[in-house]
Amino acid sequence: MNKPNFSDKKALLIEDMAEARIMQKKMLNDFGFKSIEIAMKAESAIELLRTQSYDVILSDYNLGNGKDGQQLLEEVRHSHLIPNTSTYLMVTAETSTEMVMGAIEYSPDGYITKPFSQAMLERRLLKLMMNKEQLLEINKALDASDYEKAVTEARKVSKENPTLASRCNRIIGDSLISLEKYQEALEVFKACRKESRMPWAVFGEAKCHYFLNNVDKAEQKFRQLTLDNKFFVSAYDWLAKTLVKKGELDEAQAILVDAVGRSPKNLKRQIELGKLSLEVHDNLMAEMSFRRAVFLAKHSCFNEADVYLQHMTSIVALAREGDIPSRQISNFQTTLEKVHQSFFNSAKVRSESYLLEMELYAALGDTKTMHQIEEVWNNDIESGQAEPITPAAQSRINQIKS
Amino acid sequence: MQKIDISTILASAIHESKNHLGTILYQLETLKRLNLPTDGAMALRKVEEGMKQLNDEWVEYLYLYRLASDGYHVHYECHSIDEFLDDQVFALMPSASAKGLQLTYNVSQELTGIFDERLLTAVVSTAVYNALRFAKNSIEINAAIENDYLVVSIEDDGKGFEKTAQEEDELLFQTNTGLGLYFAELSANAHKADERSGYILKQTSDRIGGAKLAIYLPQ
Repeated sequence: MNKPNFSDKKALLIEDMAEARIMQKKMLNDFGFKSIEIAMKAESAIELLRTQSYDVILSDYNLGNGKDGQQLLEEVRHSHLIPNTSTYLMVTAETSTEMVMGAIEYSPDGYITKPFSQAMLERRLLKLMMNKEQLLEINKALDASDYEKAVTEARKVSKENPTLASRCNRIIGDSLISLEKYQEALEVFKACRKESRMPWAVFGEAKCHYFLNNVDKAEQKFRQLTLDNKFFVSAYDWLAKTLVKKGELDEAQAILVDAVGRSPKNLKRQIELGKLSLEVHDNLMAEMSFRRAVFLAKHSCFNEADVYLQHMTSIVALAREGDIPSRQISNFQTTLEKVHQSFFNSAKVRSESYLLEMELYAALGDTKTMHQIEEVWNNDIESGQAEPITPAAQSRINQIKS
Repeated sequence: MQKIDISTILASAIHESKNHLGTILYQLETLKRLNLPTDGAMALRKVEEGMKQLNDEWVEYLYLYRLASDGYHVHYECHSIDEFLDDQVFALMPSASAKGLQLTYNVSQELTGIFDERLLTAVVSTAVYNALRFAKNSIEINAAIENDYLVVSIEDDGKGFEKTAQEEDELLFQTNTGLGLYFAELSANAHKADERSGYILKQTSDRIGGAKLAIYLPQ
């Protein structure tokens, strides 16, 4: 196989420390990359990734105050901002390696532990890129969401390169899950006795059991994963999902509280905890989770109006419980302002936020303000800026007025 | 007074020092870019080697602490042994060359094994650094599957374990504290499959006559 050539490749370097950044830039320069772009933190990296594509991404795990490298990776992989054909190399310190390796669901293609020499970096990059060459057809299929093809290609590569068999099996299993062929996926994950020790295989098996409604088996496997590896926080998320399926909502909420404690910066987890807390009528916890989610959403790929509206919903729920402190009202206002700023061009969001405002003032017993808001809302509906009142909205309005 | 856990404090102190060392090693990369005269370049290489070895030793101590305090989660992954050993030899070759020693490995290309890469990397480097002190001309790394165990052995052509141990007893408290072997043993033990655990054996090398440290990891 030919050595990959750096001269037609674009690189993105993400590193917050000036010294390391300069050094790594020099190294990448020496390798002869066609272009090297630089981001000093995760948020600016996301901005670059929205518009550009890179063949190689070299990111530090520790990126200062914002998101860390692993969160960045999870976000950009989840929202398909980087294709599977790109190479993602994570730079770790001895302590952070464990956290990166613990994140089974979204792992980088490789990691390199600091300190490393130029020769070591070059070697690591070359190897990873050669691997990418071998897996090219599989990754193209995955990028196109053509899972049937991914399975076929992975079977082919696995036959030709026994050393890649384990990697291919994982892709095959995950693709079969995407194709909703759970029984077949389960067989793949279980097939190799040896692989039963590897967390991704146990994780795959557990997910299959979840989808096949073998909830007890799923619960047991997810629990095992949480015990085996405290850094594998996704296992907690799935365990909570499984418990919800079993109808054990309180237990599920407790698991998520634990998971959030382990990695408080994960937006989706905060949202899940908020939703679940609303369901079990733990409105205080719901408010706290959604407030954190609103904070985290700002600089993420998942900055959607729903997070903000849910936060407001949780405060309405608190207000209905009885006396609520005035700071909660100002929390409501703060989030409402953000909705005004970022999402008010959506007619649907606009209507929902007026309705929530009405619900809040109704709960506070301030009918005067409530009516004023209703008036503004009706004006917006007439001018076409707000969505007309839906039957669901109407029944909520009837409820607060009765 | 609250009881102080001195081992935890020492471990985090080592960690701090290791990070410090890392930043200094970065500075060396800048120095390496200068066109130094031969003797300067040579001295620089020695400094780099020494610091890299120190770094690897501290990594070993940190793992040792974690293993001994049950705070280490073994991360199993399937690896190509050829690639793994190629990486190890690449990383350790400068140290061997600096001492005028040969460092090679033999393994069948198709061999794969399941193990914790970081842990085994630390074990192999510890063993090779140890062998560097005793080898006359060469150090070999061999790997194979035996009875469902992956066996990785580090062999040298020195005097072998027994003689060395005798001499060291006589010299009393030489540099070797036996910590490296203890680390290798804990690392091997941490690898488990079903009811079987990994282990190490101190042997004599049939191939080149010196010491042989064999690490057995259940598959």
